[in-house]
Amino acid sequence: MRYFRSISLIVLVVLLPLILMNEYSLPDGKILIKDIEISKKDNINIYKMPDYSLNFHQELNFNYLIVNAINKGIPIVFKVVLRAAETNEIWPTKVIKKEIRYYQIEYKALRKIYKIVDINGKTYEYLNILDAFEKLSKVEGFRFTIANNKKYELWLNVSLDKKKLPKPLQVNYFDSTWNMSSEKKIHKLGKLN
Amino acid sequence: MKYIITIVSFIGIALLILLAKAISNSDLISSDSFRVLLGLNILFICSLIVLIGFQIFRLLQSVKKEITGSRLTLRLVISFALMGVVPVLIVYLVSVNFLTKSIESWFDVKVESALEGGLTLGQKTIDILMKDIELKGKSIAYSISNVDPEQRNSLLTDLREKFRIQDAVIFDQNSIIIEVSSEKSNLIPPIPNINDLERGGRGFFGKIEEKDGEQIFLKTFTPILTKNVNSKTLILQLTQPIPPAIANLALSVESVYGEYQQLTYSRNSLKIIYILTLTLVLLLALLSSVSASFVISRRFSSPLAMLADATRQISKGNYKKIISKQGKDEIGVLISSFNSMTSQLEDATNNSEKDRERLEVARTFLETILAHLTTGVIVLDGGKIIRLNNIAAAKIFKSKSTNMSNMPMSGIVDKYLLFKPMYAFVESYIDSGKKNKKEESHEFKLNKENEQEITIMVQITPIKENKDKSYVLVIDDISEVTQAQRHRAWGEIARRLAHEIKNPLTPIQLSAERIQHKFKNKLNEEDSEILERSTNTIVNQVNALKIMVNEFAEYARPPKIQKDTVQIDKLIDEVVALYEIEKIIKVKKDKKIPIIFADENKLRQVIINLLENSQDALKEIKNKKIMIFIKNKGDEIELILEDNGIGIPDIIIGRIFEPYITSKKTGTGLGLAIVHKIIEEHEGKITIDRIKNSGTRVTINLKIREK
Repeated sequence: MRYFRSISLIVLVVLLPLILMNEYSLPDGKILIKDIEISKKDNINIYKMPDYSLNFHQELNFNYLIVNAINKGIPIVFKVVLRAAETNEIWPTKVIKKEIRYYQIEYKALRKIYKIVDINGKTYEYLNILDAFEKLSKVEGFRFTIANNKKYELWLNVSLDKKKLPKPLQVNYFDSTWNMSSEKKIHKLGKLN
Repeated sequence: MKYIITIVSFIGIALLILLAKAISNSDLISSDSFRVLLGLNILFICSLIVLIGFQIFRLLQSVKKEITGSRLTLRLVISFALMGVVPVLIVYLVSVNFLTKSIESWFDVKVESALEGGLTLGQKTIDILMKDIELKGKSIAYSISNVDPEQRNSLLTDLREKFRIQDAVIFDQNSIIIEVSSEKSNLIPPIPNINDLERGGRGFFGKIEEKDGEQIFLKTFTPILTKNVNSKTLILQLTQPIPPAIANLALSVESVYGEYQQLTYSRNSLKIIYILTLTLVLLLALLSSVSASFVISRRFSSPLAMLADATRQISKGNYKKIISKQGKDEIGVLISSFNSMTSQLEDATNNSEKDRERLEVARTFLETILAHLTTGVIVLDGGKIIRLNNIAAAKIFKSKSTNMSNMPMSGIVDKYLLFKPMYAFVESYIDSGKKNKKEESHEFKLNKENEQEITIMVQITPIKENKDKSYVLVIDDISEVTQAQRHRAWGEIARRLAHEIKNPLTPIQLSAERIQHKFKNKLNEEDSEILERSTNTIVNQVNALKIMVNEFAEYARPPKIQKDTVQIDKLIDEVVALYEIEKIIKVKKDKKIPIIFADENKLRQVIINLLENSQDALKEIKNKKIMIFIKNKGDEIELILEDNGIGIPDIIIGRIFEPYITSKKTGTGLGLAIVHKIIEEHEGKITIDRIKNSGTRVTINLKIREK
């Protein structure tokens, strides 16, 4: 019985911090992607493949802790990943293209503005956070190049890039506050014209 | 197992060092390697827990099975583990507390307030500068609104220089530049945001812009209100950089404030990371100490367990157990001494075993001798309890068991009254109370019913064995000796009688015949008849005496037999042929009867004597029957002669081979004595038994021997 108590004590010492850490964890935030639009640009690039522009809307359900973090001046970076996969009735789908873009929101305390840098690096400044969020909900001008002779599936995913967070927040694996991600949005495309 | 624990401990320490490095190294911390390291550490700790759990399980199993040294190992493990666990736990708790408080102290309220104050100061300064530019802008706009377009540019330049504004640009509502005045002569002003112009058209609007993170510009939009209602609304854009000293300070405060806020927000995560790292350190230290305690405990308890095991082996009699050397410390000396002791013990035990074996051989030898002795030997203690006896003694006392040890002698003697005198002799000897008793012996005649009288010689000798006294009782059956002595005595008497009586018999017979011959015719008829009858009686009695004397002579003659090959079955057939008239004799014999080496005439006499006796016994029997069996018993021939006669009375059957012992009304009583003597001379054996209902059985065993 003595050994059992000792083992129990060790287990308690190990597990208690983990349990307490989880107490601070909040449910994951969600990003909902909708209204995907793809348009072909007129110019032909050096690979002799047409450029396309992707626009979409997204609903960002920010956790209050993230909003608080933004107001504290912590830059929040979102990662947009676009994968193009060939569809085939016989063979499994094959990802032939992967494009990644980033956009971010940051509060500038001195000037009292919310600064947004979009996926193309263009900067926008807003006095009001709601205006900033409004801007964030529209992702426009995601340019990508792809051959237009096949059928594709576009897999789109938006997530909060934890690697761009301050270091201590990155390694706190027990904190789910920052697990903000969209589901993989699949957009089927026929031959692009 | 100790190698596994050592290797695992080294791996764990290496992983922990890497983790600590990762925490301190900001480049590593964000990479996936930190996650991998953390995972590896946790995995390692889990494997260490499993390993220790397995060790504990094994140890408890050993304790349950009562394996030597397991309890000592368990105690040592608990002691060593406690020695490691308690201080490490204290250090851990103190460290966690210290760490938590340290991290909290970083975020002192005063620091935050100071930073916020600095930031607010910067903001206020910018606000003041903005207000200043607003006033200047409004003043310039008012002045410009009242001059002609041709004079506007020079006025704008004058006023800009007067108010020390860097750039002044007039736009219309369509973002078209109307006038430009700048410190830089070649300025091409950027087109402002249409929204800003719109807001500026409606009233004063100011904004702060940052360039390259180093410079802060104040940009204001002020509407120029002209008197001409129809003219287009113009907007004055003033751009004024904040003095670099102020801008740098403000930006620095903003940067530090931002970092501080980030740090504040991350403090919980920081705490968790450091506590996690500390916990990993704690667990590693704890588990390593527990693992080490197993190795150390086993190292300590192993020689002691070996000693205990060896002791157990020695207690079971295995003296070959030698423990391998265990260094030069006290345990090493102890083991060396133990090995030396074991060796000495083995030598002593071997010697003792040899002595025991010798003793056992001697005892067996003595027992064998005792067992094969025809003399009864009994060892009695002072209480007349039998401590040892041989088979012969058991036979003498008619005991059912050959071993009469621990039986009181009185109990054995009580069953047979005839032993009473002997017991009385023994009892009186033992209880006599004499100090230096000497050996004593006494002869007893035991008259058993239906059996021959037995003469025994009892000799009692005291032996001193430690403090107790014991007595050796030697009981010798000297019946045959006494019988032989008696036979010799009878023989001597017979020889003398024959010698003394036989000589005068012939003159007596001749004298009687002469008297009869001389006086028969001289006497009258009556006297003559008396004389004849008397002389006849004398002659007949003399003849009878002659026969008797001859028989005496035969009985008393010195043993002189002339052995030759004898076909015993043929001999019997010949003798039986003489008695064939009555046809009462039946002979049954085995198929192959070997030739024996014997005196044929003497054997014939034996058979005749026996048949004569049988015929005498059958005189009054109606259904007369004599059976002769001749059996080949391998190394001897057995002759059995049975009749259904009146048999021999119980009273004399025990002494039937003695002279003058007979149940017949006539006869000398020497027939069976002579038969017995002849068979003895042939080194054979003769016995006479009564047959159950009636009759007698004579059994003769003669050995088959070559010349």
